[in-house]
Amino acid sequence: MPFPEFDFLLNSSLVIALISIIALFFVPVKLKSGIAIAAVFINVLLTSFVAITVLTGNTIDLLFCAGNLWGDIPIKIDGLSAWFILIINFTSLTGIIYGKGYLKAYNETSPKLTSHFIWYILFHLSMVWVCMLQHGFAFLVAWEIMSLSSMLLVIFDYNNPKIVKAGMNYLVQMHISVLFLTLGFLWVYTQTGSLNFEAIGTFFSGNYNVWLFLIFFIGFGLKAGFIPFHSWLPHAHPAAPSHVSGVMSGVIVKLGIYGILRIISFLKADFIVIGEIVLILSLLTGIYGILLSAVQRDFKKMLAYCTIENIGIVGIGIGLGLMGLGNNSSILCFLGFGGALLHVLNHSLFKSLLFYSAGSVYQQTHTRDMEKLGGLIKSMPRTAGLFLIGAIAIGGIPPFNGFVSEFLIYSGILEGVKSASISQTSLFALTFAGLSVIGGISILAFTKTFGTIFLGVAREKLHHKPHEVSLTMLIPQYTIVAIMLCVAFVPQFFLIPVNNIINSLFFSPLALEPISLVNYSSIIVNISIYSALFILMVLMIWIIRSRVVKTQPVAIRATWGCGYVAPNNRMQYTGKSFSKPFSKIFNFLLIEKKQYSELKNKEIFPKKRSYVSVYHDFFEYRLIKKITNRILYTANYFLFFQNGRTQSYVMYGILFIIVLMVLTFLNIIK
Amino acid sequence: MLSLLLILIAAAFFSGIIVRTKSIASGRKGPGVFQPIKDVIRLFKKGAVYSETTSIIFRIAPTIYFASVVMAILVIPFDESKGIISFKGDFIFFAYVLALGKFFNIIAAMDTGSSFEGMGASREALFSMFAEPAFFILMGSLALLTGHTSFQEIFYSLHVGSYISYAITTLATFVLIMITMIENSRMPIDDPKTHLELTMVHEVMILDNSGFDLGLILTTGYLKFAMYGALIVNLFIGMVPYQYSIPMFFIIQFIIAVVVGLIESFMARFRMGHNAQYIFALTSVSLLIFFGVLLVLEKFV
Repeated sequence: MPFPEFDFLLNSSLVIALISIIALFFVPVKLKSGIAIAAVFINVLLTSFVAITVLTGNTIDLLFCAGNLWGDIPIKIDGLSAWFILIINFTSLTGIIYGKGYLKAYNETSPKLTSHFIWYILFHLSMVWVCMLQHGFAFLVAWEIMSLSSMLLVIFDYNNPKIVKAGMNYLVQMHISVLFLTLGFLWVYTQTGSLNFEAIGTFFSGNYNVWLFLIFFIGFGLKAGFIPFHSWLPHAHPAAPSHVSGVMSGVIVKLGIYGILRIISFLKADFIVIGEIVLILSLLTGIYGILLSAVQRDFKKMLAYCTIENIGIVGIGIGLGLMGLGNNSSILCFLGFGGALLHVLNHSLFKSLLFYSAGSVYQQTHTRDMEKLGGLIKSMPRTAGLFLIGAIAIGGIPPFNGFVSEFLIYSGILEGVKSASISQTSLFALTFAGLSVIGGISILAFTKTFGTIFLGVAREKLHHKPHEVSLTMLIPQYTIVAIMLCVAFVPQFFLIPVNNIINSLFFSPLALEPISLVNYSSIIVNISIYSALFILMVLMIWIIRSRVVKTQPVAIRATWGCGYVAPNNRMQYTGKSFSKPFSKIFNFLLIEKKQYSELKNKEIFPKKRSYVSVYHDFFEYRLIKKITNRILYTANYFLFFQNGRTQSYVMYGILFIIVLMVLTFLNIIK
Repeated sequence: MLSLLLILIAAAFFSGIIVRTKSIASGRKGPGVFQPIKDVIRLFKKGAVYSETTSIIFRIAPTIYFASVVMAILVIPFDESKGIISFKGDFIFFAYVLALGKFFNIIAAMDTGSSFEGMGASREALFSMFAEPAFFILMGSLALLTGHTSFQEIFYSLHVGSYISYAITTLATFVLIMITMIENSRMPIDDPKTHLELTMVHEVMILDNSGFDLGLILTTGYLKFAMYGALIVNLFIGMVPYQYSIPMFFIIQFIIAVVVGLIESFMARFRMGHNAQYIFALTSVSLLIFFGVLLVLEKFV
């Protein structure tokens, strides 16, 4: 083996995980979080070392001997794996540190905490291994460990039936995903006789590419949250504790993207068709995600829908890259895939930041309903600032990092518009407009959320007065902001590895002329200079303003109430009314259901009554629910099988064996 | 550099001309052309009243709003001279920087905890969201037509085409004027002179601003007008030498201001509930431009 030390590093990370898992059982409650952080931290260091070596040097190839059953399992860490491993590591680390502060209130329930931390350590390692394994079944095992451990992390608060239900929903959907992935790998196996990833390439060079790609795309798309496979996200994310939702949204979802990119790297033909499919679906995903995000009351659900939107943006980048491959335009390929990879990083940063700061709000107020909040900027100024930074960055607005990746994707579209065929030109123009709409709606969604939660005055009296959260919870968020600023102001540092990844993944050394992303980096660097200029300008005007205002009289009075003298806090403009005109326009997609009882004719002294309005997910309500209801209805007819009598169950077993024997006897199965 | 100077000069008289046109159209004499500037200077000298519910967001928002528009102006080219900021795809930067200012404007309105300022904020967010695709398809089509992706190169190489390109320019002018009206909250979309908070868009958002901050917001409004005016001017001048293009700049700006004044004098505002649809209809005009460009490039076979 050429790199024995990497072998050693990976093995020792497994050993450390094992030791810490055992240790977690025995240490007192106070030390548990410390042990978990230490274990994750060491694993992060070990695997990041491997990943950074790969990004700066060459691909690592290892072979794990796994006995006769599976044969040798190839492990390959190339630039793509390394890029995702680094993202996983960073977010997992911030997640566990934030989680220490977040879970402080649960210190007395030690068994919950023990299992939580065990799952977290496993979860982190399984994600890293998903990025490294190059063997179909080994990959699926790691994938399954990842899904199961994350499901167990989601149902941390398992006493709450709603949360368990969300967890089950997640579990079921993840297994549909596994079903498709298994199907894909088996198909490749029947055609080529190998489960190694390289065999996928062999398959693609001999067969029509689209169908197998679609099977994998559905499998990975379920994880990533492309519509119509997104419906687990808005249930699982709000149910999970906030650090877990931050990591889930920041990373797990991205592993779906990793899978799709990995499959794309094996594609041999039909790029245009696949590119068009991915592009259209991503555009719809982006618009749909942000549409629903703008009308939610539950701020964690809002963030979950916003994740769907960002997956759409990443997908647009991937679609552009595919079109670039199909049209032999290397610049389009670089801009598309480069934008997608960078947006994966960016989104993992600002989405985890948003989930953490939203979690801080939840920890202090114990509600996820933004209409009950308000004015939190006064009691939690740091959290408010962090949320604001995340909100601006996620809208793709300069001077933060979101703009860099969105700009790459926009530039890619402008490059693609020039393409020869009219259908492609029109598709690109549509994508261009669609992306701008996504940007516009995301401003609406985030001004609404930020404004309702943090600004104005409190709408309802809370059980206890909210305070700023502890430093343990703030430090990870500051770190994330620091990295975000790095992406925004030193983009070349991130563009060079992205460039190398794309080069090694999609271009053989003798391919067409390598116009690379690095050419574009001068523009991106310029943008960061302009962003700095902008910040400088704001500071200058602010200083001038402060100078002038200092000399002038300032009075503090009530808000202008249009002459009305007795306004109360409930009269503030609500988030719901903020997005109402918007939701009315899109009522064909945003299904609003209201529950209320009208005043009856003879009701002279009306009692207290309630009014509830909920927005349903179009796909879940109109499509998935219909299908599952049908299945349940049909399954009802077979209820007599499950009659609760042990005797019948034994009989089923005997019948099964008899049938097997008969079939073997008749030579029907061999 | 040149464009910045020209826009600053134009901004000084633009709003004055609108007010004057409206006065004359309604049979009054009206204030002088520089009255808006005098108003702003007076505001800069005045003290301020802040609402007790507001936070730092409310105070910093006008500054960021102002800075964002200045930043956007730096992108605008004029004739041969590039804007101070010019790169491939700079119009994306232009749109997104403006969005930052809008973002702060909106949350500043929410910061007052008022029962109507959120209304304006909501409308502003909605309308500008709908105006976005029109602008992007327009710029995308022009980029496709000229083969360039920065403002200066697009405008500079625009006027060499056939007759269809005149049609395209006409439509583009219409789209840009409408976007100007939307972004500046002017007449067919928003009535700046309305006295009812319920029917305001921009005005209701700044109800609680006073003193220096209000001055900044008003100045930003003037600058914004002149900025969009300069964009429209750029559509027309192309490669004309400076001695003609600079007078043309002022003439066209003057015409736009008069047109805005006349629209405000003789048109009623669109119904508030249908505003979004009207704005979205602009996108279809942009699509017409796009198809026009496809025609010019002979992509229809």
